Amino acid sequence: MALTVAGCSPNDTEPQGGGPVTLETWISQDMETLFPGDAGSYDNISILDVVYDGLVRYDPETTEPYNYVAESIEAGDDNTVWTIKIKPDLTFQNGEPVDAEAFARSWNYTADGDNALYSNYFFGIVEGYDEMQPETDDEGNITTPGAVDELSGLRVIDDLTLEVTLSSPFAGFATMLGYTGFFPIAQECLDDVEACAKQPIGNGPFQVTDWQQSQELTAEKWADYPLDETPDYDAIHWTEYAAGETAGWADFQTGDLDLSFPPTAEVEAAANDPELAERYVERPGSALTFIGFSGYTEGPWNDIEFRKAISMAIDREGIISSLGSGQATPADSWVVPGGVPGGEAGTCEWCTYDPEAAQAALEEAGGWPKGEKLQISLGDDEAEVEYFTAIGNSIEEVLGIPYELNVDPDYFASRSAQGYDGMFRNNWFPDYPLNENYLSFYASGEPGAGHWGWYSKEFEDKLDEAAGARTLDEAVVLYQEAEAILAEEFPTIPFRWSFSATYYSERLDNVTLNPFSGAPILREIEITE
Amino acid sequence: MGRYVLRRLLQALGTLLLVMFVLHLLTTVAIQLNGSPAQAFFGDRVASPAQIASVEQRFNLDDPCFDQPGNPCLGPFVERLGQYAQGDLGTNLRGREISGIVAAAAPNTMRLFSVVLVTWLALGMLLGSAAARWRGSFGDHGIRLSSVLIDAFPVFVLLVVYRYVVAVPLNRWSEQTFGENSWPPYWFKPSFDSSHPWATIIVPGILLGLAGSAAFIRLVRASQLESYQGDHVRTARSKGLAERRVVLHHVVRNSSVPVVTAVGLAFVEGLGGAVITEGIMNIYGIGGVLWQAVRDDDVGLVIAVVTLLAAVTVVVMIVVDIAYALLDPRIRYE
Amino acid sequence: MNDVGLVSATWRTLRRRPDVIVAALIVLLFAIMAAFPRLFTATSPRACAIREARLDPQGWGTPHPLGTDALGCDVLATMVAGVRPSLLLAFVVVGVSLLIGVTLGLLAGYYLGWADYLISRTIEVFLVVPLLLAALLLLSLFKNVDLGAGTFSVILLPAVVLTLFSWMGYARYVRASVLEAKNLDYVTAARSLGASDLRIMFRHVLPNAIGPVTALVPTSIAAVIGTEAVLSFLGIGVRPPATSWGIQISQGSEWVLGGAPHILLAPLICLVAAVLSLVVLGDALRDALDPRLTA
Repeated sequence: MALTVAGCSPNDTEPQGGGPVTLETWISQDMETLFPGDAGSYDNISILDVVYDGLVRYDPETTEPYNYVAESIEAGDDNTVWTIKIKPDLTFQNGEPVDAEAFARSWNYTADGDNALYSNYFFGIVEGYDEMQPETDDEGNITTPGAVDELSGLRVIDDLTLEVTLSSPFAGFATMLGYTGFFPIAQECLDDVEACAKQPIGNGPFQVTDWQQSQELTAEKWADYPLDETPDYDAIHWTEYAAGETAGWADFQTGDLDLSFPPTAEVEAAANDPELAERYVERPGSALTFIGFSGYTEGPWNDIEFRKAISMAIDREGIISSLGSGQATPADSWVVPGGVPGGEAGTCEWCTYDPEAAQAALEEAGGWPKGEKLQISLGDDEAEVEYFTAIGNSIEEVLGIPYELNVDPDYFASRSAQGYDGMFRNNWFPDYPLNENYLSFYASGEPGAGHWGWYSKEFEDKLDEAAGARTLDEAVVLYQEAEAILAEEFPTIPFRWSFSATYYSERLDNVTLNPFSGAPILREIEITE
Repeated sequence: MGRYVLRRLLQALGTLLLVMFVLHLLTTVAIQLNGSPAQAFFGDRVASPAQIASVEQRFNLDDPCFDQPGNPCLGPFVERLGQYAQGDLGTNLRGREISGIVAAAAPNTMRLFSVVLVTWLALGMLLGSAAARWRGSFGDHGIRLSSVLIDAFPVFVLLVVYRYVVAVPLNRWSEQTFGENSWPPYWFKPSFDSSHPWATIIVPGILLGLAGSAAFIRLVRASQLESYQGDHVRTARSKGLAERRVVLHHVVRNSSVPVVTAVGLAFVEGLGGAVITEGIMNIYGIGGVLWQAVRDDDVGLVIAVVTLLAAVTVVVMIVVDIAYALLDPRIRYE
Repeated sequence: MNDVGLVSATWRTLRRRPDVIVAALIVLLFAIMAAFPRLFTATSPRACAIREARLDPQGWGTPHPLGTDALGCDVLATMVAGVRPSLLLAFVVVGVSLLIGVTLGLLAGYYLGWADYLISRTIEVFLVVPLLLAALLLLSLFKNVDLGAGTFSVILLPAVVLTLFSWMGYARYVRASVLEAKNLDYVTAARSLGASDLRIMFRHVLPNAIGPVTALVPTSIAAVIGTEAVLSFLGIGVRPPATSWGIQISQGSEWVLGGAPHILLAPLICLVAAVLSLVVLGDALRDALDPRLTA
């Protein structure tokens, strides 16, 4: 028996079998909040997933949403007005009812631009959103705060019925509702948001009991949980690791963690260990790393042939098998294949390594200016620097284009300010499982705008058309057509898909991964002693 | 003496203000040049100006001077000084109380430093004295060479190798040998464990101490060599005192003064080691906090923590100077 | 003792110690490596084929005598290419900070008064700010400044930052020896004979202080090489794709357990050997130059 509960001092003996059974896992250290409307990182999303219940949850196999807190979700004729009915008799962990009001107060608070919450942008599709945003002057200073505090498109019909009016039709609205930003909050939480961000009052199977920020977090099972998706063990303990730390692999080896994945260098050794191989799960992830160009500056990259040349010069297979085996797969599409409705592999025609075709394309594009260096910009992340050094080497080897890396700690700000000149890394982690989520962020609205200075009227019209489709299935097909336009114009180059894998300790069973985030589904895990 | 201390304190206060101001300028320029850190809040998404503006307001970055390169941003600086005067350290960029962060992180760093210090003193005094006592011998050369060898070895390699290669088998072995509920498995935990802060910090501390000990060994050796040639030792010897007594009472005690000085100075330099050790061994400490703060352009947090650190350093320096004056009558103060 | 006598006496002391000779040879070897990298390898450190990553050492005469690293670059070639930035950085930093330190220390110690006050306060400010913090702040502040990719431009930023924070030791040292020397009989005599300040400083005071400071130089060079490795480990040293021993060591340290320890060992052995040799040289130099210890 290897019961390792944090807090047991070497000298007091742990009650055998009778003590609480705790799952030991990890998060990274920079998590700042557990407020649903403000949670946007892998870590707080995976914690909130056991602390709160959303209207819908997603099928671990197909990623299809199914009603959970919602009794039913129905769209009006043109997918603009949605009626949500909530299951009766649900409460928060403090006894307050989980009713239409609980959702309305949460959504109104998050949608209010004055509160500056991470998930604010999700409510952009709801009628009345614009009136809730502050106004700014040309220098970006707030002149007047948002005029109203409530979404006009949100109406509480009765205790258990909520009516949502969207500003334009969107067939995929129900798919969004399982996302953290749409969780309900209790009145007590709204009364003291700061406290609630540290000690959430959820409606899910676990209650956060103690959070030593940046060190550890404990959640214990909520005894009165009314629904059925809850595991048998009693508590979850997260150890926080410094950013960039490789999931406490050493701690996993000494039995202090139940879930972990080795650092790159040890992936091979772990895979060759027959004993470990039995305690391993994997599944394709859904985060896309891709390469964009500064379409807003002059350069060869404004020629599609040049972009093709770069793409075909990158040895995705070789780079990933050397630097990220077991953590990534080469990408040849803009929407994750199989992971979300409408995602298909191979939509990218020029995403396979082909040195000769690459050289030919470069020639057609008129070559690379002599004496110049191709600048490759990316954020300050050691593993990514290694990847992009390899990408640069691959390009230099095939096309003879010398490169330099620009490692920029203020990457996000620079990219938003259109501050790059050359190519740069991008990453997209989807919020909800619909191919639309992988595509809509390329829409820049006007020529020269956006992160890549890329604009296509055809593409944006197609997105609008898809949003107004009658059914979700029709929408998915139209979004696929939008992806085809992207593939044709080739503004960005898909590089790799994340790949999720986890090793687990001997006492765990039924470990599955969220198809979407790749995180182990904590609610499904069984602990056998 | 009292006047001297007062003057030193005033000087120190001036130094502190200067340091704070320089840091304020640097971090402000960093924001002005690199763009508002508010953008990082949105990650991969395209944020509207209104969204950025409200995040800036939420995190107190909305002072227009942060958008004007070259503006020294005196307003926020004076405001901050006023806050400090009232004992309020303010909040970091994410709205967390800085005093809370320091309170959580500082004890771990102090633990680390105290283990390091004990390692330094123990190694320095023992090996340094031995090397001085038998100057020029094989042992002297051996001690100096091996201390330099350890010093030359980058400390991060030492720690990474320890964590990934040595700690896991050691931990397993001690668990089998001494049982799961004994202390040894905790000493060899590959990561810091906040519920057993001392047990899990000893080995990382010793490793870090080992890496920095060469300078100490050399210092002790040098100052004792000087003592051996000093008049008081010659006198003691000529009085016919036993060599053991001469060494212990006249040489070792006398040479402890410069060692104390070095401890004070090593405090600041130790921070570099702390960042690395804390990072590798997953200790939540001041070094790591500061490191992250600088990367996030978190002006408030950087200045608050460095001010605290600098204050501690200055106090340590003054205490050392006074101790020096008390111990060594040759030093005078005008 | 005149200058020639000092030099030859120093040489005599040094010569009698075999460790010093070995150390000097090692330093010489690295100096040659930095000056003429082509003598040691014909492979370019930037010709990297990812499909040939992490090959084991293959022995002399093969394309990759010391194997390849995680990116498929030749380990020997990168190691040899790393000598120049590592050594150049060290020499530049120590040279410039020596210059600054000696000048300021001399001024402070000789004139005292407000010059001394100003310099001492400055020293204090720099002493109180942790080097690492300053390095991080400054290096991230100026990271967008494009300096080109020449050998010198690559190390310029770390060099400036390290120099800014390593002159204080020399300044304090020199100031102290100047204070001591100023009251020596021959200096007082020179002054009463009407010698100018400059002449006294350079002819009489400085030579007295220069010995101990010179002894510090090899050790300081060693320290800078070590610090560069730490900065690289933290990601703020020389910028990739430029290379240095520090970068190679921090990249290699990941692979110790991954079946490719040679990626770490090659640069690590070089760094340790260089640092060790320099410290041995420094120790020997101090024993030879510091009159108080040679009694």
